[in-house]
Formats: sequence, structure tokens, C-alpha cells
Amino acid sequence: MLYFTLASKAYARNLHYRGAHMLHNIASALFGYLYACIWIGIGQDRPLGEYGVHGMIGYIAFTQASLWISGFITNGLGIPQAVRTGQISLDLMRPVHLFVLCMCREWGQIAYQFVYKSLPIYLLYMLLFSLTLPTHWTTLLYSLIALASAAYMSICMNYIIGATSLWTTESSWLYWVNHALINLLAGFFIPVEWLPSWLQTISWMSPYPYLLYVPTRIYLGYDQSASLIGSLAWCIVFTLLCLLVTVIVRRKVEVQGG
Amino acid sequence: MKGDIKEMSHAQPMIEVSGLNKQFRTPVVKEGRFAGLRTLFTREYRMKEAVKDISFTIHKGDFVGYIGPNGAGKSTTIKMLTGILHPSSGEVKINGVNPHQQRRQVAKRLGVVFGQRSQLWWDLPVKDSYDILAHMYKVTAQDKEKRLKELGELLVLKEFWLTPVRKLSLGQRMRADIAASMLHDPDVLFLDEPTIGLDVTAKRSIRGFLKKLNSEYGKTILLTTHDMDDIEQLCERVMVINHGELSYEGSIENLRDRIGLPTLIRVTFNGAYQLPVPDGLVLPIEVALDADHTFRIVEANNREVHIEANRQQVKAMDILRLISGWGEVADIHMEEPDFEDVIHRVY
Amino acid sequence: MSIKYWLDLYAVLIRSSIRSRMQYKLNFMLGTVLAAVIQIAEFLMIAIVLNKFGAVKGWSLYEVGYLFAVMTLSKTLYRTFASDVHHLENYLTTGELDQLLTRPVPILMALMSQNIRLMPGELLQGGAILYWSMHGLMSSGQIHWIALPYTVFVIFTGAIILFSIGLATATVGFWITRINELQTLTEDAAQTAVRYPLILYPSWLRSILLVVIPVGFVNYVPSLFILRGEYGSWLVYGIAPLAGLFLYLGLKFWKFGLTRYQSTGS
Repeated sequence: MLYFTLASKAYARNLHYRGAHMLHNIASALFGYLYACIWIGIGQDRPLGEYGVHGMIGYIAFTQASLWISGFITNGLGIPQAVRTGQISLDLMRPVHLFVLCMCREWGQIAYQFVYKSLPIYLLYMLLFSLTLPTHWTTLLYSLIALASAAYMSICMNYIIGATSLWTTESSWLYWVNHALINLLAGFFIPVEWLPSWLQTISWMSPYPYLLYVPTRIYLGYDQSASLIGSLAWCIVFTLLCLLVTVIVRRKVEVQGG
Repeated sequence: MKGDIKEMSHAQPMIEVSGLNKQFRTPVVKEGRFAGLRTLFTREYRMKEAVKDISFTIHKGDFVGYIGPNGAGKSTTIKMLTGILHPSSGEVKINGVNPHQQRRQVAKRLGVVFGQRSQLWWDLPVKDSYDILAHMYKVTAQDKEKRLKELGELLVLKEFWLTPVRKLSLGQRMRADIAASMLHDPDVLFLDEPTIGLDVTAKRSIRGFLKKLNSEYGKTILLTTHDMDDIEQLCERVMVINHGELSYEGSIENLRDRIGLPTLIRVTFNGAYQLPVPDGLVLPIEVALDADHTFRIVEANNREVHIEANRQQVKAMDILRLISGWGEVADIHMEEPDFEDVIHRVY
Repeated sequence: MSIKYWLDLYAVLIRSSIRSRMQYKLNFMLGTVLAAVIQIAEFLMIAIVLNKFGAVKGWSLYEVGYLFAVMTLSKTLYRTFASDVHHLENYLTTGELDQLLTRPVPILMALMSQNIRLMPGELLQGGAILYWSMHGLMSSGQIHWIALPYTVFVIFTGAIILFSIGLATATVGFWITRINELQTLTEDAAQTAVRYPLILYPSWLRSILLVVIPVGFVNYVPSLFILRGEYGSWLVYGIAPLAGLFLYLGLKFWKFGLTRYQSTGS
């Protein structure tokens, strides 16, 4: 139950700022709108592969809304701040594993962003671009699973980014690089198959396509549930990595004496 | 309510405040569904009166304490005096100039120290901040050297001269900050809680320095604080603000008298004594001294009696004369009311 | 107050700001490299698409690169010298602004000289893309050397426009304190939008980007003449008085906002 409490606290804390966040949603929706306009412009004189113009609009709408699930999460899960204030040694003393502690907080945050950011933004796009929902409920289910694994992977990535702040004191740059890589390699604006082949190779060797591209493909009906195997594999890899990182962090804090 | 300012009346007025008011508008926070959004888009405000019709004059060379509980309007007043906040109505003049119309001109003649935050450059050595400030206030290199030498000796700045400000202790930082505010030789010094969070030694050294600035250099100083020792040891005059209004202005002695806190007298008897009241009565009890005056017995045990008397009304000698009739007096101890208690009464 | 006094003071403040920053050398260098990486990744996004599909509504990859680079350079100029105008929210929430208000210098100058943010990463990226795109356009004969002084001019006027928008947005903070979300809209989103030719957008959005938040004048409008010879050179020169007007309005609004400043804590 502790885990649920941690998550719901993080969710509730955000509720205070709903007003400001709605304003922010307008900006966020505008960003996606700009990208959609670019694809409309490009698609004016030529076909856009298997997607077509309308398909590309649907693609952009879904990735833009999904960014709030697998892209915009707390920088380093708040660990850099905990390091600066010294809170980190307290967190390590608690009877809960540091990774679990940080993760639960972040799930609350993501749940909030799903309800108050992703959903309103996607609804707006549905009206604006007359998009339709998937026809079969399993498609919806599989894309939700893909998104949940994407969120989990993103949490793991930020956990590792946060842990580096013990050595560098400043990890916001890593966070932004991670973000730039999401933009480029996760298929945020360009579907991965349209990247130059060397970038495609890099992309598929990394977990990035599973953050946005794969969930979007499943949702739009281009890919089947088999793609989830990749998501699952990366989730396992990341879990092991995070456990390893925690051991190193613990040793580092103990050596420093907190 | 004006206290004893007559001996100052021939001096030149330095800070003149008349009919000062400040109201704050705070948006009314909405409850319920879409509360945040509605708060953002509605224009409903609650007015809060932070300062109400305050007037006073501070003369050149005065050392004045400005006290009041948290949220009483102290900081708001200081911010209006220094030109940070615009008053809703009323006027401020610093040495004859209005800080809201000519902020920069007034700022040149002011030194301001906020105990809670530093005016120094956080990541730079202390010395560098002085170089910047000297440029900003157009202090010549000669004057700068001369003043820093003086200030450096008085405040012992040398030990952390090249240390970045973020690495200073609180006491060191405060000394460095006060020196910074003195670098351009201002006429008036505003100090907002300069001793907050400092240990006893640091407090003592700051107080010693402020005293010197006032008595030897003739600086006009206005000080806000929660530390009553600051007030008692430094200020000739106090102003008390409560709920945005000035509730007292005058000397500390007058303040003590006006509130009339009783003096505590502890009498120790040699052997048995007899109180002039029937046995079995519950203490405290009022005892008549003469036809018009009374005092109180608050406690009595086998050798000691505690008495409270307001010395504005009764003479201590009269009480002692009466007591000596109760038994053989061994020792008498008198305690003046604590200043802290005086202040709590005013609030 | 002589000009010399201001220049001296500003030089001193800038020097100390740089010295403060250099206290964290590793951070600074790492930040520079990574900023360049981030910026280039952003440009790659559109470059890859245009490389694959050719042009968008008649705008070639070089031309879009030009828009992108001019915007980056104008923005870098603005954020280098007015870094803390953009971060006014911090000053408002912590009460730091009080400290600045006790100084005998104009508050905007005090704020701007608090921090000079060196952005070599952005400068490098913007410069490289500008060089690449102008080189490409020159070799195809679309533009000539005269485009170069025009471009420098436009980068400066653009910085003034962006500064005015940033100042006006920051000023709103005197009423609502929290301006981060508003800045995302008037600065981040608007600046991102005009990295691409305005012709892509429906007319309502285009008018917003030219009238309400006039970012379109930073790069798109002047490039119509510089790159394509449309209208006439007055299009470029005309932007200077326009930028002056925006600056004037921004400063007026700022002055008015300052009188409404409610310092935190009463």
C-alpha cells in the first residue's frame, strides 16, 4: 500500500497547478500542431509512404500526446535535487529500496500527466484533425501496454541520469541530451524507417524506438502485438541496470558519509 | 503617544513619513472543480491592509528600533522607505527626496542590509563584490581603499577577503554585507533583522560595530529585529507596529513605564514571619499600602515572600518599611520587568 | 550619468559574471558541448525530412536552414545579454528583486548585468548552419555576398524583437508571479514555429506570429527579400523601426509593471 500512497501523493501534489498546466497544454498542443503543419506542407505534392498525410497527422498527434508519458518526466527523478540538499542519505536509510521509492513517486506524476496533459491534448487533436479511435479494443490494450513499458523505461533512464549527479552535481544537461535523442531516435517527428540507414541502425540498437515509435505504430494498427516483446526485453535490461546502479550509489554515499 | 523626542527636535529630519498606507491585492482562490483554471481567469481580489496610516520622523544621528510581530507590516514599511515598494498612499522623504519618484538618487545615499539574503555576488570572492559596488556607487579608488581599510579593521574582514561568498559562515557573511552597505558612505542605514540566526559572539560583534557607526560616524540607523537585546543595547527610540498600525513611538523607558509591568521583590526572612492577612487565604492577594495604593503578594513559603508592585504607583521604600514589620528581613532582591515581557504586552 | 559610467559599470558586471561562471569550469565545458549536440539534433530532425522529400511548399533545405540559423543566433544574442530577464520568475519568488531595487542603477540594467550567459554551443551550431546554408545558396547563385551584411543586420534586429517579447512576458510576472507556462507559449513555442516557413501554417496562426507575438519579423519576413528578392530592400530596413517600436512598448509595459510590484512577504 505504501507504493500506492507514494504515487497518489505525487499525483495529488500536481492537482494544485492544474490551471497553469492547462495553459501549458495549449503551448504543448501548439508544438504538435506545428509539426503536423510541416507534414501537411510536405505531403502536398507527394505521398507520405504507407501513412499518407492523414496518417502522418495521426502519427504526430499520438507522439505529441505520448511525450507526456514517456518523454517529459522529472529530471533524474528528483535525485539531483536530493543530492544537493543532502536528502539522498535520508532516502537511502528508508526501509524501501531507493529505486522503488523514486519510481513510485514518478508513477504518480505520470498518471497525473496522462489524465491532465496527454488526454486533453489528444482529444483536442481528435476534434481538430477528425481522428478516429482504433476499431478493435485489443489494439487499444496493446498500445496501453506499450506506453506503460515506455513510461517504465523512461523512469529507469532518468533514474540512471539522476544517479550520475552524485559524481557531477549537475545532471540537467544529460536530461536534455536524453531528450534530444528522444526527438531524433524515438520517431517523435520522423518515423524511424525514414531516418538515414546509419541512424536507423543506431536507433534500433538503442531502446529509444520503444518510447514513442513502437507504441504509436501499434496504436495506428501498423504493427502487431509482437513488437511488445522488444519493449519487454528492454524493461528487463533496464531493471537490472537500475539495481546495479543502486548498489554503486549506496557505496558512494556510504564512502562520502552522507 | 509621541515619546521624548524633544531633545532631538533641533536636529535635521532624515526620514519623514506621513500618512503611509499599503494595500495588497491577493487573488481569491477558488474551491471545487476546475478551481485552478477559474482562479487564473477571474479578477476577484481580497484587499489586505499591510500598513495603515503610519507617520513618523527620524532625525539625523538617531538610532531607532522598529519592532512588531511577524506579519505586522515591518518589512513592508522598510520596503516602502527604501523605494522597493510603492505605497498605496502617503509620502516618504529621505533627506528631503522621495524614493518613489527618484529611486536612484535616494539609493545612492542609502545602505540597506537584509539579514535573510545577501547583496554580495554569491560565487565571487568578497573583495570582488566591493569592486563592483564601488563602480556602481561611483566611489573613487582612493575612497574605496580608505573605507575598506577602516571597515576591514572594525569588522575583521581580512580573514575571508578572498573567499567566495557562498563559503562564508553566517556571521562572516553578515559582516561582509554590512561593510558592503557602508562602502559608499551612506547617510542612512536600514537593517532588516541583521542578527537573525547568529550566535552570541557574532551578535555581540555586530552590535558593537553598529553602535560605533551611530555614535562615532553619526549614521542614522533604522533597525528591525526580533531580538530584544538588540533594541535594548542599541536603540534610543523604538517604534512598535502591530496589525499595520504604529502602536507606540518613544524611548524604551517610557515604553516600560507605560505598560506598567510590576517589579518583582523577593524578601527572605530570618526565621518566622507574619503576613498581614488571615491564614488559609489563597495567594495571590492584594494588600493595602495606604488608602490609595496596593501591592500583591504572589507567593509565600517558609522563608521567602514574593511581592509584585508597580513602581510607577508605589515607592519601593514604603513597601520595605511595611515588610520590616512582618519579621526579621535577611535579604531583599528586586527584579525589573524583562524587556521581552514589555514587548509582549505591547503586541 | 555619463555614457562612460554605464559602459564601465557594465564591463565590470559582465567580467564578474563570467568569472562566477568560470568557477564551475567542467560544468561550463560539458554544457557547451551538450548544448551544441542538442541544437544539432533539433536541426537534424527537419534536415533529414527535407533531405528525403526535397522541399516544403517551395522552401528548400538551405532556405529552411537559413531561417533556423537566424532564429538560433538572434535568440542566442538575446539570451546571452538578458538571461535573467527570462528568469525573472526566480527573482520574484525568492524576493531577490528587492535587493536589486536598492541599487542606484535602473532595475532592468541591474537585472541584465546579473548574469551574462555565454552560449558558445548555440553560437557554434547557429554559425555552422548559417555558413552551410548561405554557402549552398551562394553556390547555386540564389544569393550574393550582399546577403551577408543584411543577415548580420537582421540577426541584431531579431534579437531586439525577441528581447521585447521576453521583456513583455516577464513583466506579466508582476501580476501573476508564475510565468514559466506563459513563456513556453510566447517564447519557446513561438520561436520554434518560425524556424519553419510561415507559409506552412493556416492564416490565423500566421497572423498571430506576425501581430500578437511578432516573431515572424525575426527571420521569415526579412528572408523573403534576402533569399528570394521579393518585395524590396525596404522589407529589411523597415524592420529596424519596427523593432524599435516593440522595444519601446516593451519598456513602457515593464515600467508600468514595476510600479505594480508586490514584494513577497509582508
